Amino acid sequence: MSDPHELTMEELRERIAAAGIRIAEHRLGMVRKLLSDALVHVRARDSRTMKTVEPAVRFAPETRDE
Amino acid sequence: MSDAIAYATIRELGARYRRRELSPVEVTRALLARIEKLDPVLRAFVTLTADRALADARAAEDALRRGDDRPLLGIPVAHKDIYLTRGIRTTGGSALLADWVPDEDATCVRRWQEAGTVLLGKLITHEFAFGIQFPGHRLPPARNPWNLDHIPGGSSSGSGAALAAGLVTGATGSDTGGSIRGPAAFCGVVGLKPTYGRSSRSGVLTLSWTLDHTGPLARTVEDCAYLVQPLAGHDPADPASSRAPVDDYVAALGGGVRGLRVGVPRNYFLDGIDPEVERAFEAALETLRGLGAEVRDVRIPSLACTHAFLLIMLAEAYAYHEGDLRAHPELYGDVLRERLQAGALVTGAEYVQAQRIRAEICAETAEVLRTVDVLASPTTPRPATPFALAHDPEFGFPRSNMPPFNITGSPTLALPCGFSAAGLPLSLQLSGRPFEEATVLRAGHAYEQATAWHTRRPPV
Repeated sequence: MSDPHELTMEELRERIAAAGIRIAEHRLGMVRKLLSDALVHVRARDSRTMKTVEPAVRFAPETRDE
Repeated sequence: MSDAIAYATIRELGARYRRRELSPVEVTRALLARIEKLDPVLRAFVTLTADRALADARAAEDALRRGDDRPLLGIPVAHKDIYLTRGIRTTGGSALLADWVPDEDATCVRRWQEAGTVLLGKLITHEFAFGIQFPGHRLPPARNPWNLDHIPGGSSSGSGAALAAGLVTGATGSDTGGSIRGPAAFCGVVGLKPTYGRSSRSGVLTLSWTLDHTGPLARTVEDCAYLVQPLAGHDPADPASSRAPVDDYVAALGGGVRGLRVGVPRNYFLDGIDPEVERAFEAALETLRGLGAEVRDVRIPSLACTHAFLLIMLAEAYAYHEGDLRAHPELYGDVLRERLQAGALVTGAEYVQAQRIRAEICAETAEVLRTVDVLASPTTPRPATPFALAHDPEFGFPRSNMPPFNITGSPTLALPCGFSAAGLPLSLQLSGRPFEEATVLRAGHAYEQATAWHTRRPPV
């Protein structure tokens, strides 16, 4: 049974079309593996339980440029 | 030329210069001859700057005669070829920039120049610090001096190879997912990835803004301490540059590790590692214990999600390269082009989720570093990869022990801790709290002084 978090070849092709780029057919397998490995932990997590990344800005006097 | 000169430390060279036993011009001429002899096989250099090196060496001699006591005076160095050098070709290891001559220096280049170093040239990098050059590339990859059939690591490949072969005394590297520490590990030398914001990125080609670090490689921890000193400190040209106070890194080396708390995050870092690497690592821990360090296991559970860092790197790299990829795809190396294009396929939501995972890893690591002073791990799960494997497009990005500290931005040192049965170097990784480079260097120096791994030389 395939991993439900894995990026399928069909989904990869959809993403390529949406991004408006072209990737050679013989490299699709390599790109799918690269992205799939990177995505697995993001897809396996419940985003509502994940840490936030705020604050996006901080105001501290020492960060002013000279 | 004797190995004693080729492999001399910064302290040794400085002492001999000041005793008038040796001059920077003599050392520079000797290294240029050694490069001419060895580099056609090793391919560490992209550009040799012999005239510039001799001019720098003469200037250093004049300064020495005036009693100038700067420790890096007359020390021969070279820069990874993603550091911009005014008037000197800067290729980024890419056909896209193969003939580009910048009109400015990177901040790090300027700071080493102002410290009195001698610039021998530019060192090959994996293309745009990301993808190894495949056969047929205009700029072929460097080879590992310990075994020419193996990669020297990357992306600071020329830096690692040149140091191991005794072609330079110091080199710059950059580290987005391990590109300083990997070549240091595979080539049996020392690499320091300073804290994010400690050493300027200004004038260094970008791979990933939030993960890129600059720093030195050398053959000893002390040499790394000397070399990072002028790089550390605020640079208004780098928006990530910190104003945190800069320690005296060389002065801090002598403190030893008695009472130092060393944490070993076995989860993730020891998962699936080569048995030879594990044995060398356990022996290194035993050495640290013998020196008086308190070694204990710690846990950082979120490290299991480390590979999500690739989403950040791919998306940011694509943002940087998008225009050139669309305009000149043929000038990107085979395979690298598609890896960069993969960044176009990361959604905004996935990038944000990866940053949230990053925030968890940062928080858990910071919590653990409240209970220990440094974290110890094997730098790489296995010794240097053969070219035959690295040149397989499906090889991809295997799990690595180095990205966790690009994620956290922590200061991290890689140093030799043994050799495999096949004679390839093995490496110990030590990571500390932000801006505590001095602690990491002190621990590494104590270990290095108690062992002799750093004194072995490759069969070049």
